[in-house]
Amino acid sequence: MIFALLLFVATLRVPDAAQFVGAPKGMPVADAQLAARTHEVASLLRCPVCQGMSVADSPSEMAINMKEQVRELLARGYTEEQILKYFELSYGQFVLLRPKFEGVNALVWLLPLFAVVVGVAIVLLKIRKLEQPLPPRAEPEAANDDPYVSRVRELVRGDKQG
Amino acid sequence: MNRTVFAIGIVIAAAVVGVLFAGLGKDPAVIQSPLIGRSAPTFALQEVGTGRTIDIAQLRGRPLVINFWATWCGPCWEEHPVLVATARRLQPNVQFLGVVFQDQEDKILGFLQQRGTSYPTLVDVKGKTALAYGVGGVPETFFLDANGTIVAKYAGPMDADTLQANLMKAMR
Repeated sequence: MIFALLLFVATLRVPDAAQFVGAPKGMPVADAQLAARTHEVASLLRCPVCQGMSVADSPSEMAINMKEQVRELLARGYTEEQILKYFELSYGQFVLLRPKFEGVNALVWLLPLFAVVVGVAIVLLKIRKLEQPLPPRAEPEAANDDPYVSRVRELVRGDKQG
Repeated sequence: MNRTVFAIGIVIAAAVVGVLFAGLGKDPAVIQSPLIGRSAPTFALQEVGTGRTIDIAQLRGRPLVINFWATWCGPCWEEHPVLVATARRLQPNVQFLGVVFQDQEDKILGFLQQRGTSYPTLVDVKGKTALAYGVGGVPETFFLDANGTIVAKYAGPMDADTLQANLMKAMR
């Protein structure tokens, strides 16, 4: 009876990561390091249900299942690259929280850099413009000058020349 | 305003408008499955109620419809009669399979007894099959041709026309 039950259970089969990314290419992770690595890798995956959250942070059951899958694959010796590839092959690039530097996704990486460069260039140009000496002012007509204003001008000119 | 700054602003605005325009009419919730065109991940799961194991690798030779659903999913209740009626009409030329995950067996049995069924419903323990198929929510339905290649995926409840349109892809 137990043998029949074991045999029955053994025939059940779920899709394996090997169908997607082949055999493990790294060393199995165990013990305390397994928990830490699971969290690290799960932080790189987007929760398909709570799409603004990583698998590591999402409370959804789907994310919990994904995190468990990450843990299992790490324990079997799959590398981070293989695990991310496995989920990418199932869900698409959408599941990667860190977009790949290829195709249109490269803009995600390049545009902020471009914006910073353009912003710095604009600031530098403005500073250079401000540092240029101002053109000399034309002398006001003496006939319209208030004698007090004329006297202040003389004193200011005198300070500049002094 | 400085003409250079104005010109740069126009270029940036045009680029942003262009990107937004390209997305017009597209449902942001729809994510194209990378599995389309590829061989379906194989699995062998237990049928609820009978306990027998069904292996999809042994179902090749005719189109296969795999519907991921759950009893707690409202839209799944909506599309269930459509799937049951279509499966009944097309069998044995097309095989339908239901795969339930994140659910309880007694609730699944209760649902099927109350609402009827015409095809096997399998239990995906820990949702590993759903993960391999890139299921993000329920219901999601995959259409496989006779060679086991995924030719279409539909996320959300299907009406008869939508089901028929996707079935045509699997029956080519």
